[in-house]
Amino acid sequence: MASTTRPTLLPGDEIPSSLIPSHPTKPLRLGPGLRHLPPSQILPTVSGQLITLPQKSSMWIEYNSSRYIPTQSDLVIGTILRSGPDFYYVLLSPFTPPATLPHLAFEGATKKTRPQLNPGSLVYARVTLANKHMDPEVECVSATTGKADGLGPLTNGGMVFDVSLGFARRLLMAKSKEEGKIEVLELLGGEEGKLSFETAVGRNGKVWIGSEDIKTVVIVGRALKETDEKKLGVEAQRKLVRKLIKEMK
Amino acid sequence: MPREAEPSLNEKQFVIQALQENLRLDGRELEQYRPLELTLGDQYGVADATLGKTRVLAKASAELTVPYTDRPLDGIFTIATELSPMTSPAFELNRPTETEVLLSRLLEKTVRRSNALDTESLCLIAGQKCWSVRVDVHVLSHDGNLIDAACFAVVSALRHFKKPDTSMEGGVLTVYTAAEREPVPLSWLHSPFCVTWSFYGEQGEIAVLDATWLEEQVRVGSCTISLNRHGEICQISKLGGTPVEAVALLQCSAVSLTKVKEFSTYLDEKLAEDAKRRNKGGLLAELSAENDR
Amino acid sequence: MTATSEPEAALGVLPRADGSAKYSHAGYTVTAAVNGPIEAQRKDENPYEAHVDVIVRPAAGVGGTRERHLESILQSSLSHIILIKNFPRSLIQIVLQVEDSPENDYVNTKLVQGNLNFAIMPALFQTAVLALLSAGVPMRATATATAVAVVFHDGVKRTVVDPSPREIEIARSVHVLAFTSHDELLLAESEGDFIVKEWDEVYETAKKICCHSAPADDGMQMALDEEAAAGPDMRHFLRSTMESKVAADLYWK
Repeated sequence: MASTTRPTLLPGDEIPSSLIPSHPTKPLRLGPGLRHLPPSQILPTVSGQLITLPQKSSMWIEYNSSRYIPTQSDLVIGTILRSGPDFYYVLLSPFTPPATLPHLAFEGATKKTRPQLNPGSLVYARVTLANKHMDPEVECVSATTGKADGLGPLTNGGMVFDVSLGFARRLLMAKSKEEGKIEVLELLGGEEGKLSFETAVGRNGKVWIGSEDIKTVVIVGRALKETDEKKLGVEAQRKLVRKLIKEMK
Repeated sequence: MPREAEPSLNEKQFVIQALQENLRLDGRELEQYRPLELTLGDQYGVADATLGKTRVLAKASAELTVPYTDRPLDGIFTIATELSPMTSPAFELNRPTETEVLLSRLLEKTVRRSNALDTESLCLIAGQKCWSVRVDVHVLSHDGNLIDAACFAVVSALRHFKKPDTSMEGGVLTVYTAAEREPVPLSWLHSPFCVTWSFYGEQGEIAVLDATWLEEQVRVGSCTISLNRHGEICQISKLGGTPVEAVALLQCSAVSLTKVKEFSTYLDEKLAEDAKRRNKGGLLAELSAENDR
Repeated sequence: MTATSEPEAALGVLPRADGSAKYSHAGYTVTAAVNGPIEAQRKDENPYEAHVDVIVRPAAGVGGTRERHLESILQSSLSHIILIKNFPRSLIQIVLQVEDSPENDYVNTKLVQGNLNFAIMPALFQTAVLALLSAGVPMRATATATAVAVVFHDGVKRTVVDPSPREIEIARSVHVLAFTSHDELLLAESEGDFIVKEWDEVYETAKKICCHSAPADDGMQMALDEEAAAGPDMRHFLRSTMESKVAADLYWK
């Protein structure tokens, strides 16, 4: 039943050389779940489905998990633990060392006008440094443009919900409806639900939902969590949305 | 080293605001339990209770030993709870946290001190031989309300458990193996269950049943009422926290009784189902040495 | 000949753990929870690699020396297949809860409590591997394990796979072996009296169980190959369990 072009692999499995993309000019890029043993061995490190993109000369293992490992350029939602002399310490996932967020890494921040964040505040940030030897670092502003682009403290109430990493990734896809097959947000905000809310998705498995109406936040949160936990397809998602809207009335 | 992360300010404020509007994150009513599920093991005395994402496994066992010198006519009954990192990486072995101590004490007061199990019936030869019954409680998953789930699992395990049959003839004690004689149930007097209430609001005026882990982190007080389905209260403990109106507590007790009756019925059903499953062919009646009452 | 029941596994049974598995085979049922990589305590911090912590909890009673012994064996073998160099100063925590074991007979009115039988090790090992796969902890290979006993009955020597408690009692020696998916011997523990030749036979038997994976369309061959039917096909079981899990996770694709 497993596809031969996209096989399910276990750690240490041999990858058939016919599947490894070979591009005349672009070097091969290995994504998550693969490791390179010089000179020419490529081995999976987790169990999942092998995905290859010959045009872009890249390959990776598609899998789902719940323990976030900081990766550069990821957008994440973190909780401020405490403030140091120059940095905030931000927790990205439970029981891991916190990431550092410089006090001035916010749009238009100077020593006098920087945001004062209390422990327990949520921030939407980007990972700037992540490697196995050092604690991760994040920022709330783009270092090149000086603009926040939506990053920064999430201060207007709302609620944050935990989802699996695969689900967060699907939500962050450019076409989360077509490629990620998640319709609940569109359905709830569109004709069916007519709810008004805003969302922020962190690659670390956190989704922030904000709205003036508490009920709205609860419904959107429940819809997302059930879709994730019960692995609902598009049809089932529509049914779920209808059920939740009905309950609300 | 407990390093459990606290929820963010947004989460805390949101849960409280939602409760003030009578809303809970999973859509439940304030006085609604998560679906309770019980799985009884193939072995006698193994009970796995699930309340939503909280899962507790209780295992009852018995061995022959010498009774305590100051209680020569009683058997021994102990309940052991030890939270391991399986519950959450915040729990370490051999370092009891407040949660563990409270859980242990509540189970002690509810099941042991209320004489749910008749310890005199565990005595075989006064001062020399008795049964020592032990229940090990393993918390496999923690999403709030460990107390109610653990108590339910412990009571289920004890009611499901069967100890080897024995006989005394002329001062000689014979213990029969399961193959020789069908094991016999424990002498059980009543089934107590715990109902834990969590309080929220300035005067603790919002009372909620079966809090999830997140709801437990933001509560201002809690109260555990243990009672059986006849309305007999075994213990009430409200340890600190925001003071709550006495009238409110009485109302809570009344609702607790309704819930306990539901638990009791559910447990009876499950035990009957299990007995039927084992009794295919009616062999049990033949093997049992009990008199018909 | 022991009736070889097929092993059964369920993944993701504990919703709050990073990875979890419940595994039953030959009368043993074990649930495992894996958390990690998470922050290690100061005393366990290793600047070059992750610390793997294994905790074994028996069904009844509290653990004792026997459990610590099993923990240390599991820790050293699992540290070899986990890519610990990817996570310096971190902790990979594995908790194994024994739920059921076959030797529950009352031996002389004393329940053998908290004293885990050596033969539970393959079940503990396998559950740990499944839970690690469920958590997505990077590994260099997977592994399978089995227990083999050398029993003398009426003067005839037999190698028994997945021995029952009775067979373990009368066995001359009991062995637990684990192999990686690259056919390397990962773990070999033995108890009892045996000669090298006996160990070689045990090795060959265990290797067949752990490493033999019948190709899907080898129907005729399987029917004729009696030895292949001597025990469960562990690798095939592992692979099919994981394939179901991956298919479920990627349902949306």
